[in-house]
Amino acid sequence: MDDEKIMESLRDEVRKEQSVPSEKDQTDELEERIKELNCFYRISEIVNDDSLSLDEAMRDIVEILPPSWQYEEIASARIKIGDKEYTSEDFEETDWMQMSDVKAKGEKIGKIEVAYNEERPERDEGPFLKEERRLIDTLAELLGRFVQEKTSLVEKSAEEPARERQDWEVIIDLLMKTDPRTLLRMTRKMVYHLYRYENEKIQALLNDVCPVNNGGGAPKWCGINMPNPKHDLDSLRTVQKEVFNVAKENMEPEEISDLFHKWLKEDKARPLLLSSQKRGIPLVEITEELNRFFRKPESEKALAEEDQMSIRTQLIQRFFTDRLEFVNVAKEYIKVDDYEPLVKKIIGPARGAGKLGGKASGAYLAQKILQEELNDELTEYISCPKTWYITSDTMIDLIHYNDLDELIHVKYLDPDEIRQEEPFLEQLMKNATFPSEITEGLKKILRELEDNPIIVRSSSLLEDNFGAAFSGKYKSLFLPNKGTEKERLSDLKNAIAEIYASTFSADPIEYRKERGLLDFGEEMGIMVQEVVGRQVGDYYLPTYGGVAFSKNEFRWSPRIGRDDGIVRLVPGLATRAVDRIGGDYPILASPNRPNLRVNSTVEERVKYSPRYMDVINLREKRLETIDAVKFLKDHADEYPDLENVVSLYKSGDLKTPSGLILNPEKEDMVVTFSKLFEKTDFLKKINNILSVLEDKIGYPVDVEFASDGEKLYIVQCRPQSQTLDQERVKIPRDIKDKRKLFSANRYVTTGYIDNIEYIVYVVPEGYTSLKSRKKMQQVAQIVGELNKKLPNRKFILIGPGRWGSRGDIKLGVPVKYRDIHNTALLAEVAKERGGYEPELSFGTHFFQDLVESGIKYLPLYPEEEENIWKEEMFFRSENKLTEFLPRYEEFEDVVRVIDVGDISKGGTLTVCMDGEANCAMAYLEPSDHWQWRMKKAKQMGRQLDPDTYGIKELYVVGSTKEATAGPESDIDLIVHFEGGEEKRDRLKNFFDRWDQRIIRENERRIGKRMDNILDVHFITDEDLKKGTSWSSHITSRHKSAKKIPLSESD
Amino acid sequence: MTEDGYNPYEMAQEQFDRIAEKLNLDEGLKDLLREPIREYHFNLPVKMDDGSTKVFRAFRVQHNDALGPCKGGIRFHPEETVDTVRALAMWMTWKTAVADIPLGGGKGGVICDPHDLSDREEENICREYIRAINQNIGPLRDVPAPDVMTSAQHMLWMMDEYETIQGEKYPGVITGKPQDMGGSKGRTEATGYGVIYVLRELLKELDRDIKDTVASIQGFGNVAQYAAELFIEYGGTVVSVSCWDQEDKKAYSYYKEDGIDLEELRSITDRFGSIDKEKAKEKGYERLPGEDWLKHEVDVLIPAALENAITEDNVGEIPSAVDMIVSGANGPITPEADEVLEDRDMIVVPDFLANAGGVTCSYFEQVQSNQNYYWPKEEVLGKLDNSMTSAFYEVWDLAQRKNVRMRDAAYMIAIQRVAEACEARGWV
Repeated sequence: MDDEKIMESLRDEVRKEQSVPSEKDQTDELEERIKELNCFYRISEIVNDDSLSLDEAMRDIVEILPPSWQYEEIASARIKIGDKEYTSEDFEETDWMQMSDVKAKGEKIGKIEVAYNEERPERDEGPFLKEERRLIDTLAELLGRFVQEKTSLVEKSAEEPARERQDWEVIIDLLMKTDPRTLLRMTRKMVYHLYRYENEKIQALLNDVCPVNNGGGAPKWCGINMPNPKHDLDSLRTVQKEVFNVAKENMEPEEISDLFHKWLKEDKARPLLLSSQKRGIPLVEITEELNRFFRKPESEKALAEEDQMSIRTQLIQRFFTDRLEFVNVAKEYIKVDDYEPLVKKIIGPARGAGKLGGKASGAYLAQKILQEELNDELTEYISCPKTWYITSDTMIDLIHYNDLDELIHVKYLDPDEIRQEEPFLEQLMKNATFPSEITEGLKKILRELEDNPIIVRSSSLLEDNFGAAFSGKYKSLFLPNKGTEKERLSDLKNAIAEIYASTFSADPIEYRKERGLLDFGEEMGIMVQEVVGRQVGDYYLPTYGGVAFSKNEFRWSPRIGRDDGIVRLVPGLATRAVDRIGGDYPILASPNRPNLRVNSTVEERVKYSPRYMDVINLREKRLETIDAVKFLKDHADEYPDLENVVSLYKSGDLKTPSGLILNPEKEDMVVTFSKLFEKTDFLKKINNILSVLEDKIGYPVDVEFASDGEKLYIVQCRPQSQTLDQERVKIPRDIKDKRKLFSANRYVTTGYIDNIEYIVYVVPEGYTSLKSRKKMQQVAQIVGELNKKLPNRKFILIGPGRWGSRGDIKLGVPVKYRDIHNTALLAEVAKERGGYEPELSFGTHFFQDLVESGIKYLPLYPEEEENIWKEEMFFRSENKLTEFLPRYEEFEDVVRVIDVGDISKGGTLTVCMDGEANCAMAYLEPSDHWQWRMKKAKQMGRQLDPDTYGIKELYVVGSTKEATAGPESDIDLIVHFEGGEEKRDRLKNFFDRWDQRIIRENERRIGKRMDNILDVHFITDEDLKKGTSWSSHITSRHKSAKKIPLSESD
Repeated sequence: MTEDGYNPYEMAQEQFDRIAEKLNLDEGLKDLLREPIREYHFNLPVKMDDGSTKVFRAFRVQHNDALGPCKGGIRFHPEETVDTVRALAMWMTWKTAVADIPLGGGKGGVICDPHDLSDREEENICREYIRAINQNIGPLRDVPAPDVMTSAQHMLWMMDEYETIQGEKYPGVITGKPQDMGGSKGRTEATGYGVIYVLRELLKELDRDIKDTVASIQGFGNVAQYAAELFIEYGGTVVSVSCWDQEDKKAYSYYKEDGIDLEELRSITDRFGSIDKEKAKEKGYERLPGEDWLKHEVDVLIPAALENAITEDNVGEIPSAVDMIVSGANGPITPEADEVLEDRDMIVVPDFLANAGGVTCSYFEQVQSNQNYYWPKEEVLGKLDNSMTSAFYEVWDLAQRKNVRMRDAAYMIAIQRVAEACEARGWV
């Protein structure tokens, strides 16, 4: 069946209908039409109610009239039938009246009058609309017929057993006269409804209306490549009649009547439907429309399913995002009713069409999904903090309001320039004046919040939206929110301005540039959230906070799967769990594997426990990091849910508090969350939340949460792939085999490391054949020393079995964390020995250190056939061990230090780990050092104006020119100069600035600072004549220089 | 293990052979002592949380029980090998013998990685272990204790399983229990205090006043802190202690010329013995690199942190003023460094004598548990003092008489004692 066709022809009509009143305020007019409909509907109910006498019916009808007129508050009505008169309350004759005669059998038997008791602007007929004329005439006609029927009732009922005309027919008659478009919609609905009757006549009719290819039976079907015939409106009217006739034949009158009542009710949401379909409808209008809808009595809020969906999707696109993946999911969960409370929390320019931004969208959707999908017990436990939203266009508004338009173009500047401008831009923003409508909105937030601390979060359009990890690129700021209202308002504005300014800071702009998102019109929405928690002493903090990931990218045991998730939990604000903080650790747990703890011995559990916590100091009005254990002890009695947070350390053992902690001052507390994990179903709940969200949203998520000791608050939810460091990078398909070095396919976690310059390979055979424990320990020492000497995070360690072995160190190099903390990757090789594959360590010996410092771990199984393992490459090149550590010559067969440049013609190594696909690949990247240098030279050329700098030509020579430049090479430039002292100084300054820039960039590229990269040599005409040293590069036939184009001057 | 390369068991045997040669033991005795007297290898079928069963390989090695019931820890270790367990069991025999406590030597292990196990799975392993071995251990046969990656909790599970099988209470079947569950008082102090009891006697022998003695201690953990406590209580001066700084990822030593104030330092130290470097500075401590702990002009060095603290690389930096080293940690001096120290005539109190306070206190726990009667702390520490003091003198006297180093003297006494017990029993 082809419903689409029917839909299409009817949709055409609807479109036409919508396009008619273009200039006039569509919604107002619609309101009026709805009043009319209401009026018809109610009157038809009355005239069909046989239990009412004529008098009673008239009394009811006259009350219905005034509200159907435009100015209902000043309207009144009178009906005269014969000598009887019926009036609505307060009827009096005035100068502004509309009147229509009631006739029966062609004779006037009375009249209907509607009066306004105050003057109103002139319209079609005095203050009355022409639609109102139509209405009053139609009503008069209806009344005439009705009076006639009532008075001849006795004779009539004798001849006809049932009334011929149904009430819905009355409505159709009325609609035909007054509102053909509504009638068309009713027809459409009826057609839909009739579809379910598999009746020949219906099929024939439908075929006629909408020819479809249903096997050649349709005479009007023109084939798929021909346009279908168009019906004119008259023929449509005929069809309408036919449709209703068919309906009448096939359905019970009550059924049709019920349907009509339902449809008419549903039709009342049309203004909202139409408003929501308007692109870019201003905030104030959509808000008003929504409110108008919500004010209606419950009985009138019924929506047809298709309208419901349409309104939902349109509103989602209006307020949240156009991204279809989001809309698809969100339309199931974000209902029309949800906007009633939501719009109260939205602040923005009244005429603007800004959105709430990525972060707000994610958090709001997650909240709705959880409310819908979790069981009652869980939904009671889970909550969301009070949140206000500032729309994304507020920032643009602010910029225009303060004439700061040049800010918008900042993104096209060079990142280094931006970096210099940053503090200035921030101040510019902070000194901007907020438009008063926004200020009023912010005041409202502060009043509703009372004086609880708040967090102001960025929620930009790009953030969390385009598969890019913007998290952490923009700011989130805490505010203690203390002081007078004026102070608090100024603090809030200051924080918002700072977040706005972060849109223009170098890091996110560089990041956008790299991902081709620079031209996107980034706008910054803001979420103002109440901080979850309570006051303890002078501080404000949640009992605990953390972040949970539905995919575990940090497995500490082969028994934990990627789908088992991971939670990072800390006491106090979640900041310390969200970010990695060197020297301190969050508690880790796998929600689906609650029993497998990261740390098994008491020593480890104590060592890797959080020592500090982030809190808001209410007195000092700032965010502070304080000693966690001391704080917990000092405030043991006030700290909510303390027993779930700490374990008690007693003579070498950790005890989970069994009841209350009675003597906190005497106890040695360690933050472990043991009781929370073991005795409550916290992890189960988290697991539940993660799996519901991942399932419904359709991709792995990362959820930030906090608890005040009673409830768990979800404060953020975003795709996990957008979390820093967990961005999925797929292994490129086009890597040539000869560039591949090794691959892996078991227990792979997500990560991407590039620009690796060195590989330290502890040869498994060499290591196991060492004769003494001491020698093995020396290998650890060598690794430790290399760790200090090799460039930071630009080398990887590959070794046999278990790194960090203790006890039987034959199974792995007994390094400590300090011996490896600069490596980018720790790889363990499982080489079979005598039919036995050694178990790998997963880095357990320093697992949390690896996690917190972002060192990746990768197990390698070279003996598995599908894996690549080109060990010969490690032996092909010269061992650089003695170059770094001359005194360890005897270990050359055990420890190989490979300069990746040697095996890749000056290139680097990239290790791409795709956890989702469970595979990893290490491959050589050709050198790009010379290209990068050449690019820089060209950039400089473009900025060098010959006149300003007295420069005639610019040349590149040396390794950059020869394409042999390595990571530490200079850039040799020759400047053909012809200016005076002043220009020379200017030029020198120019190159000095560039040198600083290049040094910084190079440091980021290679992980090491190389000074004075730019090597500029000045030559003059005279030099060229004489052919002195550097000019020989240009004059000599044996040397060569590449000319760099300069800025074009007139 | 037939692979080439390093093997701890072979090392232990070589060491034994060397001393046995000196003691001129007869062949039968040598054959008996260079290998364990009994070994149990068993597979533990353990129910895992997911309903599956996993089989873990486990050992219990009883090296020698001529002097009394075997004593030694149970290790949970993924890299466990039977040779490691054998070596450690033998080491326990010598350790109990030199401390002159009536116990033999044993060791056990399970090949497993507690990082991959839930609490309940670990409990199951403990209980399975006891089900497998219960006939061959017991308060009068072999007494396990906590070791690498096993804790008081594991011991309680094991004790409970043992008692369930026996149908009676046997708190003495295992040591290392928490104090309120049959553990001994004074356990925390035992090792650190033991070090100082020995040092105190050594100073008496050298006719030096402890009040004029200056020490530098490596470490600031449990052993180091209690050693410092008692030493200072006796009137000695500690000028330097050292610790690992988590934040900077390196060790620092803290120096104060007129001696550290222990309480002051403890108040700015966390549970792991990491001293707050800022506050230390405020309180007038000089912060130096970690390895500087042995460079101070002191009388005695007490390495009480990690193994291999004194190596051939840094042994030369010990000032000539230093003439005593008391090893609080296990294996703090590498064999190469030890040779250098020997040439310098440094008095080195070997680790297994100096830190025998720990095992002695375990023995006291066993005695108390067997009696089901627990002593006050003073009594424990008093008995510990007596025991350590007499153990020291035995070694010291022998070293003087035979003009050998204390390490060799300690080994000789230990092996001699075990040998005599074997002979007395008529085993050889």
